[in-house]
Amino acid sequence: MTSETKGMPLTLQSSPVRSGRNERLKEFATRQETLLFAVFALMVLVFSLVNPRYFSTAAFGNILQDFGPVMLMAIGQTLVILTGGIDLSVGALLGLSGVSAALAIRATTSSGMDPAMSIGIGIVAALAVGAFVGLVNGLLITRVKLAPFIATLATMGACMGTTLVITGGVQIAGAPKEVVLIGNTRFLEILTTPLVVVLVLLVIAWLSLSRTRFGRRTYAIGSNPFAARVAGINVNRHLMKVYVIAGLLAAVAGLFVYFRLGSGSPASGRGGELQSIAAAVIGGISLVGGVGRVTGTALGALITASVLSGLILIGIEPNAQQIVVGALIAFAVAVQGIGRHNSRA
Amino acid sequence: MSKQPVYEARGISKNYGNVIALDNVDFSVAAGEVVGLVGDNGAGKSTLVKALSGAHKPDAGALYLDGQPVEWNSPHDALERGIETLYQDSSLAPDLSVSANVFLGREEVVPGFWGKLGFLANKSMDARARQELEKVGIAVPSSSRSVAKLSGGQRQAVAIGRAVTWATKVIILDEPTNHLGARQSAEVLHVIKQAREKGLAVIFISHTLPHVLEVTDRIVVMRLGRVAVDAPTSTFTPDSLVKAITGFEVVAS
Ligand SMILES: Nc1ncnc2c1ncn2[C@@H]1O[C@H](COP(=O)(O)OP(=O)(O)O)[C@@H](O)[C@H]1O
Ligand SMILES: [Mg+2]
Repeated sequence: MTSETKGMPLTLQSSPVRSGRNERLKEFATRQETLLFAVFALMVLVFSLVNPRYFSTAAFGNILQDFGPVMLMAIGQTLVILTGGIDLSVGALLGLSGVSAALAIRATTSSGMDPAMSIGIGIVAALAVGAFVGLVNGLLITRVKLAPFIATLATMGACMGTTLVITGGVQIAGAPKEVVLIGNTRFLEILTTPLVVVLVLLVIAWLSLSRTRFGRRTYAIGSNPFAARVAGINVNRHLMKVYVIAGLLAAVAGLFVYFRLGSGSPASGRGGELQSIAAAVIGGISLVGGVGRVTGTALGALITASVLSGLILIGIEPNAQQIVVGALIAFAVAVQGIGRHNSRA
Repeated sequence: MSKQPVYEARGISKNYGNVIALDNVDFSVAAGEVVGLVGDNGAGKSTLVKALSGAHKPDAGALYLDGQPVEWNSPHDALERGIETLYQDSSLAPDLSVSANVFLGREEVVPGFWGKLGFLANKSMDARARQELEKVGIAVPSSSRSVAKLSGGQRQAVAIGRAVTWATKVIILDEPTNHLGARQSAEVLHVIKQAREKGLAVIFISHTLPHVLEVTDRIVVMRLGRVAVDAPTSTFTPDSLVKAITGFEVVAS
């Protein structure tokens, strides 16, 4: 191995890099997302063959309505998994923040408040609940030193219980008509205002993860927390931010569902943790942390949502959905394992 | 030692449960001086390093930088004061690029509005990383390449390069020649000599005693958490150094 540099160069150049390596790496990465897209197309085809109604603008609009909350939870899940953690509370938190908004809006409108004001209060209530639960997750993990798995399992249970207690287990109806209008008025055939919010948040997440210091440090912590700490990064503070963001996004997901249905259901969000983990791992986010992109997660969320809609359209009972989502996770992780084995060899 | 120490530790103690890792250790290093820190496995070298670098807080003792008492609440505090450390455990993030690792914790942002939002100046960091690493004699083929794809020796080179790049006062190298071949180790010794010429205080930890004898000005020998010997390198022979480490000098002579 010859070197063109002066002095006594250390060993970095001892195995010369073939030029174009970077290009090929990028190509491979794009191919992974191309592959995901192919999987998505194949699924649409299969479902359409079974039920032709699946392949229609209306049906795609419905898929996007399922995609919205999954995508929101999955963005938070992606952040958390990239740091090497996991957030099992997002589904239960979706439910809790949704019914919190519903209760706040019902209470304020019934006392004669202007609907716009009342909806504003509902949104703030949901976001406050999301931020609070995210904060508790973060504190349990960074201060009490619980494993993320345990900490968020505990808050998941707490959220479910609180939801049942404050609703009495029944749906909270009585939303002003504006709620359903905002949630369901379509433009450009398939979009709604909440969906635009989801897409904007997705773009922000993509920019933050790929272009900013926040993203760089998120990857660093997942890649090697010791390295991040001794490089002077305040790892605990960063993790707090990540869990609070995940909580806020779950709350936005709760609002999404509330605006779509016009009521707060204690049952919504059930299985959300599985769906968001599925979206992330299908999208190539490594469960050990430090690897993956949110663009992959977006395709993973689209696939997950399509599977959920498709199963209903071909007549599989909703309770069987969890089985399929579980199988998707196992499959995606297995594929990831194989891929990693080859690339690290 | 006639020279005023730039960095000094007095009476440092540290326990891990029942294990007394450090017991009332005094240690100092001056600008432009290379101090060798040697001792058997478990003697407490890495624990002392972590106390000096702010990676953990000692149970007792005090640190002085330029004669002023200092206290580290996190590694960040020590880094800010110009103390760089190469840890024995890998302190690189393997999934990040070479330049991202060099700039880890010190990421540069673009100027203006986007910079306030934290947008990274990747091009400028890539270029500067390559430049800084070349300055210490590390040629980087592609500073945007991920560290996971480098060999063990190459990773070590990046870690050393990072420490040398940012150190303004003290540089601590905990077994930097581990996993390196003879030629690569020689290169590390060259980097150490360069750092000394720049006026840095260098702490060099190694089990390869010929290296220690070659490159250091003074040697501190640790045994079971205590400083056993602290003397100029010129007063040691290879034999006497081994004896100082094992503690059998009386029996052997
Ligand atoms: N994180 C830790 N937890 C418990 N014991 C430790 C830890 N780190 C080091 N020790 C113990 O402290 C002593 C000193 O270790 P260390 O400083 O790593 O020695 P050296 O670097 O000289 O080989 C050893 O007995 C070691 O087992
Ligand atoms: Mg050690």
